[in-house]
Amino acid sequence: MCMTADNGTGSDSVSRRTVIGTAAGLATVGLAGCGGGDTTTEAPADTPDENGGGSDETTETTETTETGPTPNDTALEVLHAWTGGDGAAAIEELTSMFKEEYPDLATNFRPIGGTGNATLDSVVARRLANRNPPAAWQAWPGQNITQYGGLLANITDIWEENGYVDSMNSMAAEQCQLNGEYRSMPIGSHRMNNLFYNVHVFEEAGVDPDSVDSPSALLDAFETIGEETDADPMTHAMSSTWPTLQLVFQNFLGLEGGYDAYMNFIEGDVDQEHLTEALEITAEMLQNHINSDASTISFTEGNQQMMEGNAGSIQQGNWAYGMYRAEDSGVEYQTDWDWMAYPGTEDMYMLHIDAFTFARDTETPVKQKTWAEFVGTADAQVAFGNLKGCIPLRTDIDTSRLTDFLALNAEHLANKEKFPPTIAHGLALPPEQMDAAMTAIGNNFMGPYDVEAAASALTDAVSQ
Amino acid sequence: MARTQDAVAESGSTATGYGWQQRLRRFWKSDFLRSSPYWAIPLAIMGLAVYGGIIWNFLISLTDYEGFLQPPDYSQLDFGMYVQALGDPAVFSTGKNTFVLLLAFTTVSLVLGLFLAILLDRDIRQKSKVQTIYLLPMALSFVVTAQFWLWIYNFNNGIANRVIGVFGLGPISWLGDQTIVLWAIIFALMWQFSGYAMVVYLAGLRAIPDEHYEAAKVDGASTVKMYWRVIIPQLKGATISAAVVLMVFGMKAFDFLYSLVGGYRPPNGADILATKMVREAYANLNWAYGAAIAIVLFAMALGVIGPYLVYEYRRNNL
Repeated sequence: MCMTADNGTGSDSVSRRTVIGTAAGLATVGLAGCGGGDTTTEAPADTPDENGGGSDETTETTETTETGPTPNDTALEVLHAWTGGDGAAAIEELTSMFKEEYPDLATNFRPIGGTGNATLDSVVARRLANRNPPAAWQAWPGQNITQYGGLLANITDIWEENGYVDSMNSMAAEQCQLNGEYRSMPIGSHRMNNLFYNVHVFEEAGVDPDSVDSPSALLDAFETIGEETDADPMTHAMSSTWPTLQLVFQNFLGLEGGYDAYMNFIEGDVDQEHLTEALEITAEMLQNHINSDASTISFTEGNQQMMEGNAGSIQQGNWAYGMYRAEDSGVEYQTDWDWMAYPGTEDMYMLHIDAFTFARDTETPVKQKTWAEFVGTADAQVAFGNLKGCIPLRTDIDTSRLTDFLALNAEHLANKEKFPPTIAHGLALPPEQMDAAMTAIGNNFMGPYDVEAAASALTDAVSQ
Repeated sequence: MARTQDAVAESGSTATGYGWQQRLRRFWKSDFLRSSPYWAIPLAIMGLAVYGGIIWNFLISLTDYEGFLQPPDYSQLDFGMYVQALGDPAVFSTGKNTFVLLLAFTTVSLVLGLFLAILLDRDIRQKSKVQTIYLLPMALSFVVTAQFWLWIYNFNNGIANRVIGVFGLGPISWLGDQTIVLWAIIFALMWQFSGYAMVVYLAGLRAIPDEHYEAAKVDGASTVKMYWRVIIPQLKGATISAAVVLMVFGMKAFDFLYSLVGGYRPPNGADILATKMVREAYANLNWAYGAAIAIVLFAMALGVIGPYLVYEYRRNNL
């Protein structure tokens, strides 16, 4: 009603307000139309129907959007999860080495924070679902990359041309394959079957580390430590489920016949007796021999307790080593802290691999391959490994370039023969089964320790 | 004026060609179109981002979309995901936890907020400073509060166990014991939000005229009876609006739980629908199943807000 009197212009002419309003309305409609475009729901024509059908792949490798080997101006986008501490320093060194060697290539290295790669995986999943993948991202190879299937680039040519097929650790090379083709390039490995212990606590308790050669011997050692000292025999973090999942399988591997039982377990063939015994030993450890505030601490806090002598030992992947060799850590290798293979697993190197994985439909295939090749070089791996505290996967490097502790593990990696892949970090089980295994532990083995329920839930998890 | 002339002219004209031009003119000048720059833009944004998102989510939950090797197949829609959700014991237990969290958190926050409001309303000294102190926790981010409640609940040296140790009660594993972890979390959330309930109740209390208090006193009511019989029933409106807001906050407990453990898997016994949904969608890549759980959570939220909207509508407040 009152609008007709407002404008002062005649009722025949269109008012300014109307023009502006209509223009804004049309702009919004236009934006709405454009915005829906890139989240395509139709499959690109070449998406295979099943997980990476091998024959579909080989036709794609030579298809590029660029003429010849000249890279274009689009920046190479690499996502990773190393946002702090050792990892950040290591990736910084790696990327500056890359930029020094290839100063003309535009790059965009993006860190995505969050523990256990969970947030990084979500971001990658979302971008892959929108068919807008990054050129490369950090991912655990092995069973973890089966979820990506045909969306991964085939980099077999990089592996073959540079001789990585022979120079990389054989198990790592196997883990980086999917359907017979290489899809990942490993940058470093962390050993999982470690028991880091505080030398002083063990001396005070009168426990000889060499005598601890099986999980039951470890339990006896824990009892002695608990009686003779004030320290908690072992520190363990239970605010998340994965350290407990790790520990269960350390005990699994440490028992007699562990390696064969483990390799069968991850294929779905479960030795119930063996699993039950491992769970029982773990339950005994967690009920009686760990710190009482386990449910509210993370492994870094626990590790700190071990360094200070309030706990005798910690079972963790050897990223824990990063805290020991910090300059202000106050602990020295072999004087204050030492390492032993988890009791019973002395002849194994339990494998965890950090690797880069590559998307097939990327705008920067040339830069992508350059990055893949760079990651596999000995210099890159040594530089990254020394800063991150992980072990290079190349078997032909001069181990004197690494710190003492890393050199020891690098020799083991080059010379041992048993490399059980880790469950808790994606190598041994595909994501859904790994999640089921985590749920099995989370529901049954975190407070009251129900061995039977956990055993049956774990069996169900790998039988999916 | 012009309109009636137009109408007369229209009914009189025989050529229908003029008719639609007149109608277009009228439409062009109507309030509807002239006010459209004001409501159309927010409507478009809301429609696309919120309602469009919800509808698309519902569509996905009707497909079998999982992983990302194949796009969702919209040609075969069924309620299979909902059947699976109803049969999944994890959905039931997390749904139960969500429900308990909502109810307990809201009730306890309201009660504590009411108690604080009544105290403050009786004019204590430094009233505005005390009010601000109680309201401040709401300004804190969930990430911050999650970390320091982790410290407070630490078994060995957290304040919680120290305090109850003073009364001779043994140290309790607040987050490790799965029967009490949910209540420990509810307590932490209530600490953060009872300030909001207090503020709402203070406003409600101020709206009650002083004569009611005096009349009650004259009639010989004790303080407790006065509050219970006279004052609190008049706070119904404030209670309902605070309850709705608190329930919505309760459903956002995902932020707190995620920050507590740094991942999508809360301590055993504190898993709620929101964390289960994120795990299913982003860890297991079961998009359709995650979408179905999202719709279930949405239905729960509607069940909370819906009656409130109806109630307000009936009172002509909308």
